[in-house]
Amino acid sequence: MSGEASSMSAPRGWIQRSAGMWLGTLPLMIFVALLLYLSIASANFLTLSTLDLILRQAIPTVIVCLGLSVVVMAGGDDVVSGGIDLSVPATAVLAAAIIADQISLHETALAIALLLAMAGALAVGIVNAFLVVWVGMTPLLATLATSVAVVGIVKVITASRRINVDHAAIVWLRDGVFAGVSVGVLITFVLFIFYFWTVHRTRWGMNLQAVGGSRDAAEVSGISPKRYISQSFLVAAFAGGLAAMFILARGSGFTPGTEENLLLEMVLATFLGAAFSPRRVVTLWGAVLGAVLVSALSLGFKSIGVNVFWTGCIKGALILVVVASASLSGRVRS
Amino acid sequence: MSATDTPTDIKSTLRGTFMRYGFLIIIALFFAFFTLYTGSFLNPSNLVNIVEGSSILLILALGMTLIVALGGIDLSVGIAFDMGAAFAIVAMKEYDIVWYLAVLIGIGGGGLVGLLNAFLVVKLSVSPFLATLGTFFIGSSIQRIFTNGGGPISHRRVDQEYRNLAVGDIYGIPTEIVIAAVVLVIYFIVLERSVFGKRIHAIGLQKKAALISGIKVNRYVAVCFILAAATCAIGGIIGSANLRMFTPLAGFSYLLDAIAAVFIGASIHPHGRPNVPGTLIGVLFLGMVANGLNLMGLDFNTKDALSGLILVGALAIAVGQKKLR
Amino acid sequence: MQNDNTSNTQALLSMEDISKTFPGVKALDAASLGVAAGEIHGLVGENGAGKSTIIKVLAGVYGRDSGTIVLDGKALADVTPHSVHEAGVRFIHQELHLVPHFTVAESVFMGQEITGPFGLDRRAMRTRTEQFLSESLHTSISGSTLIRDLGIAERKLVQIARALIDDKARLVVFDEPTAPLASGEIDQLFAAIRRLKERGIAIIYVSHYLGEITELCDRVTVFRNGVDVAVLDHVDSHSADTIIEHMVGRELEALYPGKSHRIGDTLLDISQLSDGSRFRDVDLCVRRGEIVGVAGLIGSGREELTDTIYGLRQATSGTVTFDGDAINLKAPWAAVQKGIVLVPRDRRHDGLILDMTVGDNINLASLDEVASFRIENREKAARRAEALSDKIDIRPRRVEAVTRFLSGGNQQKVVLARWLATGSKLFILDEPTVGVDIGAKVEIYQLIEDLAKEGAGVLVSSSDPAELLGLCDRIIILMRGRVVEDRPAAELTIDSLLALTTGGHVKAASA
Repeated sequence: MSGEASSMSAPRGWIQRSAGMWLGTLPLMIFVALLLYLSIASANFLTLSTLDLILRQAIPTVIVCLGLSVVVMAGGDDVVSGGIDLSVPATAVLAAAIIADQISLHETALAIALLLAMAGALAVGIVNAFLVVWVGMTPLLATLATSVAVVGIVKVITASRRINVDHAAIVWLRDGVFAGVSVGVLITFVLFIFYFWTVHRTRWGMNLQAVGGSRDAAEVSGISPKRYISQSFLVAAFAGGLAAMFILARGSGFTPGTEENLLLEMVLATFLGAAFSPRRVVTLWGAVLGAVLVSALSLGFKSIGVNVFWTGCIKGALILVVVASASLSGRVRS
Repeated sequence: MSATDTPTDIKSTLRGTFMRYGFLIIIALFFAFFTLYTGSFLNPSNLVNIVEGSSILLILALGMTLIVALGGIDLSVGIAFDMGAAFAIVAMKEYDIVWYLAVLIGIGGGGLVGLLNAFLVVKLSVSPFLATLGTFFIGSSIQRIFTNGGGPISHRRVDQEYRNLAVGDIYGIPTEIVIAAVVLVIYFIVLERSVFGKRIHAIGLQKKAALISGIKVNRYVAVCFILAAATCAIGGIIGSANLRMFTPLAGFSYLLDAIAAVFIGASIHPHGRPNVPGTLIGVLFLGMVANGLNLMGLDFNTKDALSGLILVGALAIAVGQKKLR
Repeated sequence: MQNDNTSNTQALLSMEDISKTFPGVKALDAASLGVAAGEIHGLVGENGAGKSTIIKVLAGVYGRDSGTIVLDGKALADVTPHSVHEAGVRFIHQELHLVPHFTVAESVFMGQEITGPFGLDRRAMRTRTEQFLSESLHTSISGSTLIRDLGIAERKLVQIARALIDDKARLVVFDEPTAPLASGEIDQLFAAIRRLKERGIAIIYVSHYLGEITELCDRVTVFRNGVDVAVLDHVDSHSADTIIEHMVGRELEALYPGKSHRIGDTLLDISQLSDGSRFRDVDLCVRRGEIVGVAGLIGSGREELTDTIYGLRQATSGTVTFDGDAINLKAPWAAVQKGIVLVPRDRRHDGLILDMTVGDNINLASLDEVASFRIENREKAARRAEALSDKIDIRPRRVEAVTRFLSGGNQQKVVLARWLATGSKLFILDEPTVGVDIGAKVEIYQLIEDLAKEGAGVLVSSSDPAELLGLCDRIIILMRGRVVEDRPAAELTIDSLLALTTGGHVKAASA
C-alpha cells in the first residue's frame, strides 16, 4: 500500500496545494455568489436605495463589531482562551434602555441621558476588565456572565416593555440625510475612521496589537499586557454605548430582546471578517465588511421572499462553512 | 520570619481560609440569608423542591462537564435538549410510537446534535466554541422553521408512563430526581473513576501530550460530544413530559447556568478541574438561589437581574479563589 | 561614548563570585565573568553548567545570593530588568519574540514607537529602521515587509535591531542565536555581530556550537558545575579541544555507559521516505538491540522525520517496514499498538500531562492493564507505577506527586517509565537529555543502554554531537532533508560530525 502512496505522491501534493488556495478564497466566493444570485433574483436589489438601506440596517452591528475587534486584537484570536467580549451587545442594549427610559419616561435632557447611558456602558467595561485581568476569568466566561447580568438589569429598567422614542435627535439619526448620504451612515463612517486611526496610527494601538500578537513579545518590549487588555474592554464598552443611539434609531425606540440578534450578528460578522482577511486575523475593516455583507444577505433573502425563519439556519451554516474552510486551508497548507 | 509578625499571620490565615473555602462560605451565607429572610425556605418540602427543580439543570450541566473536562465548550446543549423533546413528542404524537421507544428516539435525536458537533470539531477542525455556536444557530432556526416561528407542539394524550418521567415518583422519590441521580452516578463513575475519564482529563489538560501517549484523541472527542448531547436530550425529554408538549428553544435558558455550574464546580476542585461532585454543588447553589429569590416574592424582572448579578459574583469568587490559591 | 579606550584590560562588565541556589541545586557557586568593551566573549558549558543562570542573574530575572556586579566601573546593587536595560545591557533571546503580522519597522519600534502630531510617525520609523539595518547590520530589508515573510536569519536581525535602535547599547548578550539558522544565514549573522564589535559594543555570545565559538569569539569563559573553570584569552580554530576538555572535565569517561549491547536482526526499515516538504528519500534502518543516532541542524528535517515515523505527520511516499510487516502509521496510537513509542523533545508540552500525578503519567498508555471492567483499580495502578518508578529511580518516590514539580531529569524518566510499562520494541528518543542535569543525564544514558541490552531498538535524535557519539552504534546525518551520511559512530569524531551536519561550515571557518 505504501507503493501506491509513492506513485500518487506528485499529484496529491499538487491537489493539496491548489485545494488550500481554493479553500482559502472560498468564504469570499460564497458571498459573491450569493450576492450575485440575489441581484439576479430580485430586480430592485442592486439599487442605490437598497444599498443605503443595507448600510443603515448594519449600523449597530458595525459599531459593536468595532468594539469586539479591539478586544480580540488585544487578547489574541483564540476564541476560548484569547480575547472576546460577548457583552458588547448587552451593553449597547443597556445604554439604549437607559436613554429610552430617561428621555421618554423621565423627560431627562438628551445630553444627561447620554451621559448616564455611557456611564452605565463603561461600568460594564470596568467589570469585564476586572473579571478578566484581576480575577483571571477567561474572557468568554466573564463576558458571557456579565452579559446575562446586564440583560437582567435592562429588564428591571424597562420592565421588559417596549419604549417608544420620538426624540428629534433620534429621528434625525434615523431619517437625516447629509449630502445625499444618511446621517447615521456618515457618523458610523467617521467612527470607523476614528477607531481605525486609534488602532493603526497611534502608539496605543500599536502596543495593543503587540499584546494580542504575542504577549511575550510585548512584555519583553516593556508593554504591560494587563493594561492594554483591560483598556480594550473599556473601548469595547464605549462602542456599546455609542451603538445605543443607533439601536434606538433603527427600532424607533427600545424593543426587548434586541441583544440576542445583535450578539449573533456581531460574532458572525467579526469572524467572517477574519476569514476574509488575507492573514486570517480579526481586523476592523474585515469586521465592518462582514457586518455589511450579513446585512445585505438578510435584506436580500427577505427581498426574494425567503422565510424569515431560515435566516438563522443560513447564518449558522455560513459561519461553519467559512470557519471550516479557513481552518482546513490552514491545515492543508501547513 | 513569621514569628515576629503575628497580626499579618492571622490575616493571611484568614485570607488562606477564604481562598480555600471561599465558595463554600458564599453558599453557607446565602443559605443562612434565605432561611432567615423567608420563613418557608428550610421546610423539607421546599428543600425537595430545590433538588427537583435542579434535576434538569444537573443533567445538562453534567453533559457540559464532560465537554469542559475535554478542554472544549458546548454552546449547543440547549439544542440537544430541544431535540430530545421534539423527537420524543413527535414520535408519540405523529407516529403513535410507544413511550419507551419514543424516549430512545429522543435521546437519539439529541445525539444527532452531538454528531454534528463531533463532525465539525474532529473532521473540519473548527474550534468547539464556533462549531457549537454554528450548531446553535442552525438548530434554533430549524426549530423555528418546523414550528412556524416557535409555536409549541403539544400532545395532551401522552402515555401516563411518559408523563410520570417528570411528575411521578419511585418509592416516594420524584422520578425526576431518580433519573438525575442515575445520570449523576454514571457520570461520576465514567469521569472520575474509569480509564475513559482519565483519558478525557488528559486530553483536556494537554491534548498533544495525550495524543503522543497513544490516546485516540479524535475518537474520544467525537464520543464525548455525542454522549454529552444525548445526556442533554434526557433533560429535554423530562421537560417535555412535564408540560406534555415540545416547547421550541426552551433549552437555551439552561446554557449559561450549565456553564456557570461547571466552572463553579471546577473552582472547588483542588486542581481546578471540572468534576462531577463540583458540578453538583454548582447546580444546587444555582437552584438554591433561584428558589430563594422566588420565595422572597420579587417580581420577575428584579429576580432575573439579581440572579444575573449573583452569577457574576459567584463566578468571580469561584475563579478568583482558584487563582489566588 | 568610549569608543577609543576599549583596551582589553579594562572590563566593561565584571561579575565576581556570584552564587545562586535553587531548592536542591547550587546553580552558581562563586562564579565570575568579565567582559571588555569591543570584544566578543564566548560563554560555553554543558546544559546545567550555570551559563544560562548567570545570564539570568545579569538580566535581573533571578536575584543572586551573593557576589558583585560591576558595569562600566559602577557597582550595580539593585539588578532589575529595567535597571540593566537603562545601563545599556541588551539581550537577544533565543526566542524571537516577534509578532508575525507586524511589519519590520513596527517590530523594531515595538514599545518605543516614534510619534508625531497625528499619531505614529510611520515614515520616520521606517527610515530609521532601514537606515539602522543597512548601516549597522549591512542588510537591506524593507521596513514595510511583514515579519512572517522574512527568513529566520532576517528575523534575528530585526530582533537585534530592536535591541539596538536606541543607540544606547553597551553590552549585548546573544543566547544561542544560530540555533534556528542555516549555514549561509549564520555568516550573515556573524557579519552583523562583528559590526557591533567594531562600534565598541561588548558582546557575550552563548552557544553550544564550538565551531561558532572558535570562529567568532575573542575570548571564551567555560562553565562547569556552576563555576567558571577556565578563561581562554586567545581563541583560534584549534581551541575547540581545549574547550571540550574544560567543559567535560574528568566526567568524560563516566558520562556514557559502555556499549555492551548486542545487535540483532532488523526491526525498523525505512526506505525512500518523503513527507513532501521537509525531508526526502530517507533510508534508515534500526536493528534489535541497536542504538542509532540521527544528527542534523534544526531545519534539517530531523524533527519532522521522527514525528513522521511516529505517525504525528504523514509521509507522502516511501515504505516503512516494522518487525517484518509493511506498516502505514496514521496516528500515534497506531504506532503504540505496534510497539513504537516516542519520547518527545518538548517533554513539558508534549510528553507529560504536567498537572497529573507521576503515577497517572506512568500508567497513561497502559490504563487498561490497571483497570477491571474499565474502572481504574487505584491500588493496582499505584503499585505498578511504584514498581516502575523504583526500577528507574524517579525522585521523589511518591507516585502521587504532581508531575509539574519534578526536575527535568525525573520528568524525562516518567516519560520513559510510561513506555517501559507498555513493553515497547522501538524507542524513538528526541533530544532525550535537553534541560537535564549531569547526574540525571548519566542515569538516562544508562537507561538507554539497558533498553538496547534488553533487545529494543533505539533511535536517538539529538543536537548534541558528544551525546550521539557516546551512545550510538551508528549515526545517520541529515542535511536539508536528505541523508548525507550513514556511518558507524566509531568512524566519527565531534569535529567530523559537526562538519557533516553543517555542510562544511566548520571546515570553512577553520581554513
